Amino acid sequence: MASRQPRFNQQVLIDTTPLPDSIPKVPEIGTSSAPLLSASYFIGARCKAYNDDYMLCKTESNGKGELECMREGRKVTRCAASVLDDVNKSCLDQFRAHWECLDNNNQQLWQCRRWERPLNKCVFDNLKLEKKIPGAPENETPVHLRKRQIFAHSIATQ
Amino acid sequence: MPQDMPPSGGYEPVQYRRNLPVRGFRPAYYLVAVGAIMTYGFWRIGQGIREQNELAREKMWSRIYLIPLLQAEEDRDLVRRTLASQTMEKELLGAETKVYHSDRFVRPTYAVTPANVTK
Repeated sequence: MASRQPRFNQQVLIDTTPLPDSIPKVPEIGTSSAPLLSASYFIGARCKAYNDDYMLCKTESNGKGELECMREGRKVTRCAASVLDDVNKSCLDQFRAHWECLDNNNQQLWQCRRWERPLNKCVFDNLKLEKKIPGAPENETPVHLRKRQIFAHSIATQ
Repeated sequence: MPQDMPPSGGYEPVQYRRNLPVRGFRPAYYLVAVGAIMTYGFWRIGQGIREQNELAREKMWSRIYLIPLLQAEEDRDLVRRTLASQTMEKELLGAETKVYHSDRFVRPTYAVTPANVTK
């Protein structure tokens, strides 16, 4: 029951006892890695405050964060779920095209710029969430806006 | 007997080097060409390295934005399992044994395997 997930035995080793009723329920995200990666910058843009709050709580609670920061953790999950919901509602086609591309390309973001651009535009138009990479040099184009990706397999995906 | 002297007018010049035509360009041109190719290559390498740095930054920040989400889910699951095991312990033993002399959250090492297939 350490934090390691059970391997080789997905059927019997899992204790499915739910959380006690005193702790509010929150639906888990249940998303695989590619859609999460695709939406990560939008999650970051909207949920930064909650994320920082949660990480700060974990840092300051001296090894008791698992129990003490559940409230902040629920906020983080709800906020991310709201972002995914909104993206699904307004930009489902672009979103799906992008994360399927990521799935097919080893989750390398630079292989999928062609599908990322419409997604970013749609999300910015509808949700006002902008992809921004903190700490990027200011005198050059951010890497996700460059016309040509040096490391991409083909120019068809740029 | 008179001494043996060189012929009048001197000896003919000795041919010590071959008169082969020189192939190719002058060496300086090759040097310049190689230098140009190398300069271009290094410039491209520099571009690639810079782009790679930016791509690494992009990947890192996408991960940073996701970590609280993943961690929160993981923690919730951990707490769920811990509370379940504590309840089970209370049911079986009637009391909770404190294993560690500390109130830190310690991940339980051992799990109780449910008797039936649960999932």
